Amino acid sequence: MAKPLQSLPDGGATPATAALEPLRFLIVDDERTNLLVLRAILERDGHQVIQAVDGAEAVSVFERDRPDMVLMDVMMPQMDGYEATRRIKNLAGSHFVPVIFLTALTDETALARCIEAGGDDFLTKPYNRVLLSSKITALLRLRELYRVREQQRDQIQFHHQRLQQEQTLAERIFSKVVHRGCLDNPAIRYLVSPVALFNGDLLLAARRPSGGLLVMLGDFTGHGLPAAVGSLPAAEIFYEMTAKGYSISEIIGEINQKLKAMLPPELFLAVCLLELDVSGGSLAVWNGGIPDVLIRSAQGKTLRRLPSNHLPLGIVNNAELDRTTDLVRLDAGDRIYLYTDGLTEAANSEGEMFGEGRLSQCLAEAVEDPYAFLCATLKRFRGDIEQRDDITLIELTAAACGQSAATESPVSIVPPHPPAHWRVMLELKIDALRQANPLPVVLQLVTELQALNEHRERIYLIVAEMFNNALEHGLLRLDSALKDSSQGFADYYEHRALALAALTEGWVAIELVHEPHASGGRLTIQVRDSGPGFVGQATPDAADDAIASGRGLLLLHSLCKSVIVHPPGNHVEAVYEWP
Amino acid sequence: MPVTATVTGDGKNITIHISGQFNFSVYKEFREAYQRSAQPANTTYVIDMAGTDYMDSSALGMLLLLRERAGGERSEIAITHCNPEIRKIFKISNFDRLFKID
Repeated sequence: MAKPLQSLPDGGATPATAALEPLRFLIVDDERTNLLVLRAILERDGHQVIQAVDGAEAVSVFERDRPDMVLMDVMMPQMDGYEATRRIKNLAGSHFVPVIFLTALTDETALARCIEAGGDDFLTKPYNRVLLSSKITALLRLRELYRVREQQRDQIQFHHQRLQQEQTLAERIFSKVVHRGCLDNPAIRYLVSPVALFNGDLLLAARRPSGGLLVMLGDFTGHGLPAAVGSLPAAEIFYEMTAKGYSISEIIGEINQKLKAMLPPELFLAVCLLELDVSGGSLAVWNGGIPDVLIRSAQGKTLRRLPSNHLPLGIVNNAELDRTTDLVRLDAGDRIYLYTDGLTEAANSEGEMFGEGRLSQCLAEAVEDPYAFLCATLKRFRGDIEQRDDITLIELTAAACGQSAATESPVSIVPPHPPAHWRVMLELKIDALRQANPLPVVLQLVTELQALNEHRERIYLIVAEMFNNALEHGLLRLDSALKDSSQGFADYYEHRALALAALTEGWVAIELVHEPHASGGRLTIQVRDSGPGFVGQATPDAADDAIASGRGLLLLHSLCKSVIVHPPGNHVEAVYEWP
Repeated sequence: MPVTATVTGDGKNITIHISGQFNFSVYKEFREAYQRSAQPANTTYVIDMAGTDYMDSSALGMLLLLRERAGGERSEIAITHCNPEIRKIFKISNFDRLFKID
């Protein structure tokens, strides 16, 4: 691979200059004697010499032999030294080839022209050997500097290109993982600035098997690659656990534990996780480090705030992390707003920030479309200012988020396993009920044993309804009428937690029996509890005195082939058939 | 200097003053300031923000680094003289559970 060494001039002496290898000089002069003198000086210093007798020849010799340095006479026939230098410098491009003008001229304008034409120095005739050698040495130093700079520039360019390629690749992986959810749900509208996209803001949405909608907004400390790397496990956990029916606090716990183990101490993820239930009637919130969640009533009459009341994720262990969620009741027409601080910190041309005041004012306006109004106001406020911040803004509309649960979620094309015989029995005593949620396990069993992917949502809804009914009404004796008032709704869940903690014994059992039936299968679900049942009440089918539980039963009837409530009411049996 | 540290009580108390912006640009100085303690876990720290105008989330990260060095849950770190904007950032992130903030 090594090129044959250039033959050295006679004597082959080591160059006397600072150069490590002998240099090749192009000397240009129309006077033979001058050429002879120059050649002698340079060859004595160990350099190689090529020559030309006018500017035009100099350019073609330069093109052919690419010398390292040029000594150029000014006045020559054909093409003068100025023009030849211009062309040579042009040919050399970004490569530094020093040109020293050799001139008998001494007037300042002529010398200035040498520099203008691209010359790097000049030497007046007659030549002084010492002076010429010193100038060459000085220019060689400069040339070395250029060479190093060029090398560094190429390296930087190379690294930059590689970084860009890697970033593009990472973005593709990132968007595959992060953007596979259901942000296109009609209940969600959002604004994500391009700066925020790969930059630390994380916006995820997914549906529960029961149809509820989960939205997660995350904001990483630090931006760019570290944030993106941390986003991946968070997004994975969010999607997987949501699909399996885990609760918000379970999802929060899992992400926190993962990030705590993975991230260095100074990195963390501020997160707000929202769950809009299938009817759009309630909102569960866990907010750790994200600005207040805002709930705007119809026409902007009131603006409720749900402030961050938890630590961001990845800082403390689960044992120290409060994972309780807040529950609020929503009314028809309520809209929920969620944003990262980039929104309130967006600045106008005077450096003034958009601020929370303007945000609240916007949302208080009685406009038809507050989201569009807010976006337009923000745009007007910022004018032509280039966007530096990560801005993420989300609007959720309370009503009608869950209407298309089954059709919209990506349906797996895996067909069910052939209908088989199996029976599963799960009994949870009070201590297990306090600490675990059996629904994801049940759903997992159905998926593993029978691959009923298209029926997951419905089966989940049925089991969840039966289990919650057994636990909340059968065992804990809660009055579901409480749920109907706004305050009562929150109270209800507080009661539920207190009653569950206070209860010393009791159990709920879930039994699933599957058998082939017609062309498909039949799944019989039985849920029993240790409670006394609802003695003395009307028959369940007509139990419209307990509106909520009546609603639950109606739901079961609509999904199942048959529903039987065995007296005294602590044993419910539902049959689900699939084709 | 945007970050200055005062060490008293045989190196057992360190007060760090931060003036101007508390963000990534003072990372090195902030680190050097709290690393002046010989026994980090036996040192009490005061972060005096009387001169701090602005703070971002990278500053929160730096405070977490200090907390880690100072013994995590057993650390004693007080943050004083916060302006309302900075107080709000601490409130949103609920850092009052990790630091004494007044």
